[in-house]
Amino acid sequence: MNHYKIAGLTIAMEGACETLQRLMKSYGANINGKADITMSIDREKMHKTGEEYPHLSPDEWEYIQTGYAFACKLPDFDGFCLHASAVALNGRAVLFSGPCGTGKSTHTHLWRQYFGPDRVVVINDDKPVLRRIEDIFYVYGTPWSGKRALNTNIRVLLSAVVFLKQARENHIRRLSNKEAVQMLFYQSQRPGSDRDRINRLLTLMDALLQKIPVYQMDCDISFNAVKTAYNEICQLRMETENKR
Amino acid sequence: MKIKSDYVMREVAGTYVVVPTGKTSIDFSGMISLNGTGAFLWKQLAEDKSEQDLLSAMLEEYETEKATARADISEFLKKLKEADLLE
Repeated sequence: MNHYKIAGLTIAMEGACETLQRLMKSYGANINGKADITMSIDREKMHKTGEEYPHLSPDEWEYIQTGYAFACKLPDFDGFCLHASAVALNGRAVLFSGPCGTGKSTHTHLWRQYFGPDRVVVINDDKPVLRRIEDIFYVYGTPWSGKRALNTNIRVLLSAVVFLKQARENHIRRLSNKEAVQMLFYQSQRPGSDRDRINRLLTLMDALLQKIPVYQMDCDISFNAVKTAYNEICQLRMETENKR
Repeated sequence: MKIKSDYVMREVAGTYVVVPTGKTSIDFSGMISLNGTGAFLWKQLAEDKSEQDLLSAMLEEYETEKATARADISEFLKKLKEADLLE
């Protein structure tokens, strides 16, 4: 068994394929005692699936399966994965979410260009973990971060979630709770069919919506789009902080 | 009539949502939202109820005309049937 520390949780995993081992390297940890999550790879199932999905190599299959298994367990620890590209700037995380092909990674890349790659860190380019710890929401990098394997092993305070939509002009608005619940639910990694975990996920989203602003941004691919999101998020934060 | 047991109905951030669990979640992975009356009727239908039971419950809970309540219930049930949510 290899041990890792991912999203503040200890993970025990049976010897993995080369790709996963490489991607998990920066999450390795020396841990004594019981792991929070134990994952084992079902070699037989892996072989069978390989025949069913010939376009997936065993390495890819394992990468997808372990990521899914990990995400499914997160509600037990007040967490979930959101389909989003997450960046950190000045110690705060902003998550850009939306369906495949919306331009989440593209937008994140624009942030890196605009603010400089030394100031903007990509926490996770595809499925960051959100966790509530003592009533504060944090975003974590994990080794499961999509095609480009872009992630950083850090924990950052969550500042805002922005759902992106391609458009000709840039416009950002707060979503109503009703809209936000739906968007969050559709883009979250559902914990399989387990009733208890689905309930926990919804409880977590309820708490998140009380603390974190959720936006929709219609945007093009430009620095103007970056400024639109950044200004709005900063302004709201300053207003909230002044009220305190 | 009774709602299929595979669904969870809850309030999240002030709105009522229904999500599938169990085997149902494999075929349908979406989310349904309900208004207050819908949520009330949904709760009633956790147990086997007739249309008459629903009407009595609704008249007890809300100050509304019998005819309006009856129309609302019939509309709601129609939607539930269309979405195949009843047992």
